Amino acid sequence: MILTIASIALIVAGLVFFLGAAVGLTRFPDFYCRTHAAGKGDTLSSLLVISGFALYQLGEVHDLSHGWPVLLVFLKLLAVIFFISLTSPTSTSTLADAGWEDGIDPTIEPGRENHLQEDCGKRRS
Amino acid sequence: MNAKLSATFAVVFTGAVLLYAVSDFPDFGDPRSPANHGVSGGAPSASVYYIKNAYHDTSVPNLVTAILADYRGYDTLFETVVIFTAGMAIFAILRVLRRDDSGIPAAPDPAIDGDHHRIVVGVTCRIAVPLVQIFALYVVAHGHHSPGGGFQGGVMLGASFILIALSTSLRHALGRLSETSFIRLACLGILIYAGFAFLPLVVGRNFLDYGALRALFGTDGEEMARSHGIFVVEIGIALTVTSVMFAIFANLSSRGRLHGGL
Repeated sequence: MILTIASIALIVAGLVFFLGAAVGLTRFPDFYCRTHAAGKGDTLSSLLVISGFALYQLGEVHDLSHGWPVLLVFLKLLAVIFFISLTSPTSTSTLADAGWEDGIDPTIEPGRENHLQEDCGKRRS
Repeated sequence: MNAKLSATFAVVFTGAVLLYAVSDFPDFGDPRSPANHGVSGGAPSASVYYIKNAYHDTSVPNLVTAILADYRGYDTLFETVVIFTAGMAIFAILRVLRRDDSGIPAAPDPAIDGDHHRIVVGVTCRIAVPLVQIFALYVVAHGHHSPGGGFQGGVMLGASFILIALSTSLRHALGRLSETSFIRLACLGILIYAGFAFLPLVVGRNFLDYGALRALFGTDGEEMARSHGIFVVEIGIALTVTSVMFAIFANLSSRGRLHGGL
């Protein structure tokens, strides 16, 4: 029962972060902000939702001798969590890197100092 | 006539004929279609036979694998040959073998090989690649019991080598799986499949009839021999698919020079 409530809480929290990622993806001004929203929000929300699933599965295990197929599902979900936490930030970092190399400049609000002014022009080949 | 125009005409005509023929197909999942109907011409149709007898004949719970590698082993043999031919066609069209720029330069050159040294990507791929490869082998070996088999596992294994090439450089990936090795492995895969299919002929049975190899595998019944036979064949498929995947990537990404690349 407690596990079910905890899993529901995790899944709902994950959905909130998913919503944040989706809003950020459509509303943020430039490539880097959108990558940031999509990358971070997507990773965290996927982790939360899948952790919720894993906890829910764990609630089905009553004794180890008969519950091992369910336990196996739990372990597989943990493996999925591991892989998402490994690959998703890497691909986001690579995406931002590729955008920078490709000459996409960040949008700077008018009136603010652009610390990247010197680098922005140089990269285009 | 213009060659391009006639080629376009041939493609459009063939496509139109194929699309016209699609309308004659039975609906997807139609229980009264000839393939699914219980009786065609007095005998049970192939589908019904497979569903009823596949486990009994091959002791492979995954019906798809049983049909793919046993009942229709001949078809799958030539599917593997098609993949091999695709790899060889890429090789024949793209590979540059002229004397002046053949061969890979001895020393790594960042200007040609690309300066891909990003620590985040490097570390992630170093963790991910072995896991991907183990999972690929699992998919090959577990095709009997779950979705998977030689084609799927082979593609994943090939993709792991492509990941090495993308995260470091093509030179580094070719150090792991050189051109000579992948061409040999592609041939070896076909050889395993076709050679193994020939073995039953020795004891006077049909081509691809793995059940005859009971004595070789030391199993009691023919159905377990078929199950093991399917596994051997899957390994052959996986070798060919792996090497052809990587060969296509290596040739396409470096325009057939096998150095530089992405």
